[in-house]
Amino acid sequence: MSYLGYVVAAYGVFFVVLLWDFVAPRIDIARQLRAAKLRAARTTAARPAPDATLSRTESE
Amino acid sequence: MHPLVRWFHQLGSPPYFDRFAARWAPWAYVLGLLVMAYGLWAALFQVPADYQQGDSFRILYIHVPSAWMSMFIFGLMAFYSAIALVWRIKLCEILAMACAPIGAAFTVITLATGSIWGKPMWGTWWDWDPRLTTELILLFLYLGIIGLYHAIDDRRQGARAAGLLAIVGVALLPVIRYSVVWWNSLHQGQTISVFGQSQMDASMLPPLFAMIVATKLWFVGSLLARARADNLRREAGKDWVVRMAQERAR
Repeated sequence: MSYLGYVVAAYGVFFVVLLWDFVAPRIDIARQLRAAKLRAARTTAARPAPDATLSRTESE
Repeated sequence: MHPLVRWFHQLGSPPYFDRFAARWAPWAYVLGLLVMAYGLWAALFQVPADYQQGDSFRILYIHVPSAWMSMFIFGLMAFYSAIALVWRIKLCEILAMACAPIGAAFTVITLATGSIWGKPMWGTWWDWDPRLTTELILLFLYLGIIGLYHAIDDRRQGARAAGLLAIVGVALLPVIRYSVVWWNSLHQGQTISVFGQSQMDASMLPPLFAMIVATKLWFVGSLLARARADNLRREAGKDWVVRMAQERAR
């Protein structure tokens, strides 16, 4: 008997799990780097310009 | 200082480790895939079918290396955890926790492929046999370690708690290994020996050894990639991570 179906199913499981194992850390790394970039952008946007308060005071 | 010692100290630096992992993980994957390609080709097309089991015995070429990896990775995880607990080395915490999902993946492969092989050979998908049951407990231990690590907000405390569970859980490994010797088991006894005489025909062994090497190389690649991701998570907000993220976005 060839048991082809069982062999295909077993190798299918093997490849699917290894594919997940390959993809999961890549997605995680990309997510961490994207979060770091967004956090840096937010910090830069929230930080006032060094002379902003002074110039506003002068114009008033 | 000896270059090897210096390199070991440098590896403890998060940015250095990130560069190291980013550089070597793809090589480990590529080498692993090349060896695996040979192993799978030989397993599926080169070796003759077993005279009793027919082609179903070809499942062992993924089942046995995965089973060995499931135990090897747990042992390594416990080793890293012990170092992390004693010497408080952050990189060892990261490596230990990166081992858990890979080990769980190989345990899932072991259980699933064993079950698929068992149906035509034993006539059942599952039996509460000592080897199968202890391997299932190993999967639960892996899941427990992953869960415990992620359940605690402080990453270092989480790694220490999960590492302790890994060290305690390592006692299961000899039980899995010798379960077929200690108890009457449906699972067959040891037929393959790396150093001694195997009960398998020599013509069937080369693809198996290739798959054993391939899964080890794959593990190295995956370990580096997962450790890199965890390292980035722990270092989020540090200048070097922000710089790298911005360079990558350009």
